[in-house]
Amino acid sequence: MSLLAPSYLRDILKRCSSSETLRSNKQLFHSIEADLITLLLLLSVRLCASPPGKPVLIGCRSPEKETFTCWWEPGFNGGLPTRHRLFYEKEGSEEVHECPDYWSAGKNSCFFGKEQTSIWVEYSLTVVAFNALGNTSSDLFKIDDVMKIVKPYTPENVTVLVNDTANTPYLCVSWNHPPKVDTKSGWTTIKYELRVQKEDNKPEIFHPNKKNSFKVYNVDPGATYTVDMRCQLDQSSWSEWSTASVVKIPNYFQNEKPFWILVSIFSVIPLLATICIVVLKRKFVKQWLLPPVPGPKIRGVDVQLLKSGRAEDVINALIGNQNFPPAAAWMDQTEEYLLVSDSNDWLLTDPYISQKKKSLVIPAGVQLEIQCRTSAPAQSDCENAEVGKDGKVEPDHLAQTKESVLNVAAPSVSSGSKEAASGNAAGPTGYVDIQQHKGTQGAGPNAAQWDYSWVKEVNGETIFILKNEDAAAGLDVPGWEENTAADYSRVKEVNGDDVVLLQKHDSADSSCKKKEDRSAEWTNQKAKSRHGSDCGKGACLQIAGNGYVDSVPRFYVE
Amino acid sequence: MTAHIRPVCAVWVGMVCLVFCSRLSGMKAASICGNAQAECHFLSLANLFDRVIQHSARMHGISNDLHSEFELYFLPSKNQVSRVGRNCHTSNILTPNGKENAQRIEREELTEVIMKLLAAWRDPLWHFHQSVARNHRFNGYGSNKSLEMSDMAHELRKGVQKVVEKMQTLGVISNSVGGLASPEALLAADGSGWRFMKDSDLLYCFRRDSNKIQNYLKILKCRIVPEHGC
Repeated sequence: MSLLAPSYLRDILKRCSSSETLRSNKQLFHSIEADLITLLLLLSVRLCASPPGKPVLIGCRSPEKETFTCWWEPGFNGGLPTRHRLFYEKEGSEEVHECPDYWSAGKNSCFFGKEQTSIWVEYSLTVVAFNALGNTSSDLFKIDDVMKIVKPYTPENVTVLVNDTANTPYLCVSWNHPPKVDTKSGWTTIKYELRVQKEDNKPEIFHPNKKNSFKVYNVDPGATYTVDMRCQLDQSSWSEWSTASVVKIPNYFQNEKPFWILVSIFSVIPLLATICIVVLKRKFVKQWLLPPVPGPKIRGVDVQLLKSGRAEDVINALIGNQNFPPAAAWMDQTEEYLLVSDSNDWLLTDPYISQKKKSLVIPAGVQLEIQCRTSAPAQSDCENAEVGKDGKVEPDHLAQTKESVLNVAAPSVSSGSKEAASGNAAGPTGYVDIQQHKGTQGAGPNAAQWDYSWVKEVNGETIFILKNEDAAAGLDVPGWEENTAADYSRVKEVNGDDVVLLQKHDSADSSCKKKEDRSAEWTNQKAKSRHGSDCGKGACLQIAGNGYVDSVPRFYVE
Repeated sequence: MTAHIRPVCAVWVGMVCLVFCSRLSGMKAASICGNAQAECHFLSLANLFDRVIQHSARMHGISNDLHSEFELYFLPSKNQVSRVGRNCHTSNILTPNGKENAQRIEREELTEVIMKLLAAWRDPLWHFHQSVARNHRFNGYGSNKSLEMSDMAHELRKGVQKVVEKMQTLGVISNSVGGLASPEALLAADGSGWRFMKDSDLLYCFRRDSNKIQNYLKILKCRIVPEHGC
């Protein structure tokens, strides 16, 4: 009913003219007041009512490339209840459709189901607001392609576990694909992105290849990590980040502290013990670790004596203890031999020999074998002087042997027995054959280095020399043949006192002969020599004792 | 001694080369498949599918780049009336527009759709590249991309042809699927509607079609060889 209706005013006037007095006048006043207020209100409302404001389409989103939803923002409703409706057109047809579902996606939204959704099709959307006074349309909203509005939900159930087996801890992140996304039919290819942030550092991004899990290895013990994920469908927009999971890696050094303390204690104790031992037994350790190097020392030579510088002492020291080469020794010996005569006195009084008694030096490893003539096989009367390692033979021992030999040999010189064919012919010459090996007769053909003729017997001024080819079977003449190839020549014949006939070199023949086959033939050189010297063959050189022809012959004739 | 070394070395090198070459040729001839023939055929079919899908993804990526670049430099204002009237020359090819549709139609039909699409874009892309190169509309980067896009479309077409042949030999699809010389393909290729298209529309349409091709190939793969990575 209108406020300004005539009937209403008539009523008011009626009331005013009524005789119901003040009481009714008060009531009337109140009622008029109320009416006025109501009138004013209604007026104002009537004046402000308008068609609805323009709604605005905010955006659309497709979470799985099969459906999509659009939202709008309503404008001012104009004071009247308004209603919004969405209309859309698809590309290629003029037909206008209305939103199929206003409720599923909430207020002010429109949900397009699978049937209404077409990919690769352009949509044109409009929202219209209706109220009592009119309607208002929004601007046209175009969706070029539903692919452009695809934005998936976040991955579900993102869980992070700290795996601390072995020495390297790592994070094991697992998740599920976002809801409603079809990953099996090949319609969508989903791609994930994982973000790991250590405390307040810059976050690290990973792109897992697997569908459901990923391991993060470079984590530090004791640090706190924040992990979250998002995903993408076919190069679409990325989803929101999932809710972050915060994990803390346990600190291993703290856990293992007591262990390390124990280890350090147990290693310190032996260390201290070792140090104590080393300090206390310094000298011993030093000696063991760094043994003193022996200084050079010549045996028998007194260094102090040498230092004093006296010539005699030096000579004595040096000569007396030195290993002379065998040649020189032999030379002395040959001298010795030839000096010997029948008489023992002469022998013994020879000052040189007596001096030689001091020490007879023979090369090491050599066995000095002196065999007696009288008792050839038995060795009781004989001495086998074995030379020790240092090459020095006991002087006393040797002197004895020598004397005994000489004594023994002397009476039997004239006997000219053949017994001495065996082994060495040790006549009064005292000729000693040095053999380099132990052995009896017939020993192997090891090298005796000397080219000597065996003196069988000295008969006055005659020296019986054993010829090479007639060498006795038992004779141990090793290496004769080989040594003939050296500079030495074999003595073939001794002609007189000062002529020695050398044999021609027929070592080829002689080497073929076996030593066992040799027979000793003594030749009386002297007899031959009387008839004339046969110097035609070979060289005529002067004999130097035992057939060893030296370049400088020395010949002593009594 | 030195006189002998050289010929010996030469002979040795020759022998080594011979052995190597024989091995190489042997390697070429050797196939992946060993004994299990049936499984092996399907495995190599899945491999072929993966390759063509990768190729199509790359092609779509290039077309996307080109389109965005074009929009950025040549069409700054979004509200253009011409956009309403956009019409691709491939609109007459009926393509499934959703997952259910793509899964519902026959394999042969889906394969045909792919082939038609690829056939329809051969000439337009080539002419687009020519116009870009001639008019210097893009910078060098764009020109390279247009050539690459054209080449890739060509390669992809050959690749899909190979896949189709393989599928036909395996009996996966019937032999009714048309090849390159099928009437539909020729029709699509002959349509000269594309000559009057603007470059922007061409890029827009091709971007969409390349995305379709990629999706259809993926769906086809997961329908035929689902056990290999779907």
